[in-house]
Amino acid sequence: MKTYISEQNLNTLLDTLIAEGKRVVAPRMNAGTPLYEPLASADELVTDQLPKRSGKEAFFPLCEDIMSYEKEGQKVSITDIDPARFPETVLVGVRSCDAAAIPVLDAVFSWDYKDEFFLERRKKTTVVGLACTMADDACFCTAVGLSPAETRGSDLFLTPVEGGGYSCETCSEKGEALVKSYTALFAEACSSKALPLAEPQTEKIDLQKVKGWLDNHFEDPAWDSIATRCVGCGACAFVCPVCHCFDIVDEGTEKSGKRRKNWDACGFWKFTHHASGHNPRDQQPKRYRNRIMHKFKYYDDKFGETLCTGCGRCIRLCPVGIDIAGIVEEISKK
Amino acid sequence: MTQPIDESIYTAVTVAIQAEAQRILSEGLVTAVVGYASARRKGSTQPIVITDAALAEKLIFTPACVNNLAVYLTKAKKEIPKTGRIGIVVKGCDLKALVGLMGESQLKREDLYLIGVPCIGVLGSIIQPDTAFTSDSIAPKCRECDAHLPLGCDFVPSQQPITPELEKKYAAEIDRLEAMTPAERWAYWKEQFSKCIKCYACRQVCPFCFCEQCLCDRNKPQMVETTPRPAGNFAWHIVRAMHLTGRCAGCAECERACPMDIPLNLLNRKMAKELKDLYEYEAGFEVNAKGPLTMFTEKDDQSFIK
Repeated sequence: MKTYISEQNLNTLLDTLIAEGKRVVAPRMNAGTPLYEPLASADELVTDQLPKRSGKEAFFPLCEDIMSYEKEGQKVSITDIDPARFPETVLVGVRSCDAAAIPVLDAVFSWDYKDEFFLERRKKTTVVGLACTMADDACFCTAVGLSPAETRGSDLFLTPVEGGGYSCETCSEKGEALVKSYTALFAEACSSKALPLAEPQTEKIDLQKVKGWLDNHFEDPAWDSIATRCVGCGACAFVCPVCHCFDIVDEGTEKSGKRRKNWDACGFWKFTHHASGHNPRDQQPKRYRNRIMHKFKYYDDKFGETLCTGCGRCIRLCPVGIDIAGIVEEISKK
Repeated sequence: MTQPIDESIYTAVTVAIQAEAQRILSEGLVTAVVGYASARRKGSTQPIVITDAALAEKLIFTPACVNNLAVYLTKAKKEIPKTGRIGIVVKGCDLKALVGLMGESQLKREDLYLIGVPCIGVLGSIIQPDTAFTSDSIAPKCRECDAHLPLGCDFVPSQQPITPELEKKYAAEIDRLEAMTPAERWAYWKEQFSKCIKCYACRQVCPFCFCEQCLCDRNKPQMVETTPRPAGNFAWHIVRAMHLTGRCAGCAECERACPMDIPLNLLNRKMAKELKDLYEYEAGFEVNAKGPLTMFTEKDDQSFIK
């Protein structure tokens, strides 16, 4: 079903949700940097910039407590975090590449082990996607089979139209429920034309061919020429909408503390460092190889698709100019 | 007002770098040359290590050649074999890092073949590498550069860098922060550090972060919380600023690499200013065996001993 919402009514919707105590997460500026963060009011919404980090943190935060402990004398008490307390959330203004990432993460977090932290937040979140009207030469959603108009992962999908406002497409029961609850703010589908959508310039990549090469080239001199330059930071993984590795640490004193879950990255030397001192990925090209293998082979082996939505963040933000779109394109031509 | 900056000398600089790299590789003077090559996106570049003279034609120099390649010569970068003499393309700011690394016995001058760049500056960010090179897009560090022509190199192309006078942004920003109350300054950094995701890009691009195991990666005992929360973020950035004091010569790679736009070089410039005031010391100009924080002299201020 298609409806229409004006910019003003969208703001009213967000302010109403906030007033009702819902967590509204959307692109906003934090000290000069666009990020998906909880809004204090709809005025903070920024729709003309791609946030520097993806929307995944609405379900999979950068850092979260998973339990706390206290010790008094000989008595130790442990308190679990109660996921039932996670707030109802509306994630708004999510670009197609970020929204499409959500089902990719669902598969991982509900596979053999059900991650209740992720799944509870996911259950309580309605995703309002936004069609993408601007691309730069780091964007490559179309190369990995998605598009700026991709509705996958969205419950409600907004497309900006000429003259202002958005055409709204309901894509799920959650999206339908949102429109129904605030039906006065939505109008009949308008006849205005959609604004021209972004046109990423990268050509479609044959991902099966890429996987075919990866299946047989775990050892290959190409890894050195690709990744000797990699300096081993976690920027690419941390800004990625689908990277999902995490580490668990205990922090506190002898008396009290917390167990926390933090994002981790396969680019880090420490990622595969064994207690014995041995490190099977002892050099950076082996670590970068894992990044490519996980995205274009291992995830595909397990879940039948690619662990990359072509958002281009890792390309823009790699300190040494490593360009995953260029690398995968090269591999597809081998 | 935005002024375009004339970058035309880089065309001739590129040709000269290619010819020299070709010569030193084919004559066997070096085993490898670390430089910059162009990449897929328009205007983009990336570091490259060349061992074959025939590939010297890949080397370039443009305003997008932002990296401090000195990081590849440290012991932390095990991927690049440190056998024989290595050629490296250096800007004046990068050379200061190499001078520091020599002073800390990490590198020997005779193992390096320095190809200096007559430098009019580079871009502050390569998120969009084809950005026009102007008084707005030039890196803040280049606005206060005192090393447009690197000294003491083995080869420097003959082009003379002619640079426009630009306002010093770090100096102005440090003045602004110094004028704040401690509470205001705390609030400023608290907001900036709230964006830190502990990706350690700042550490990984830093030529002086060559510890084989960073203190902040240790967990027995844990010195600094690894979680990206206020306590751990403050601790990390303050530990790092202290560790770099008297060593950091301002290549500003930490600030450029930060995916969250935290103005990290401000901390380092502030510490450099303190050292200049207290000890008349500036990092990166001479191969000093000891910096002011690693030695004692009787002239040192001892008023803090009560």
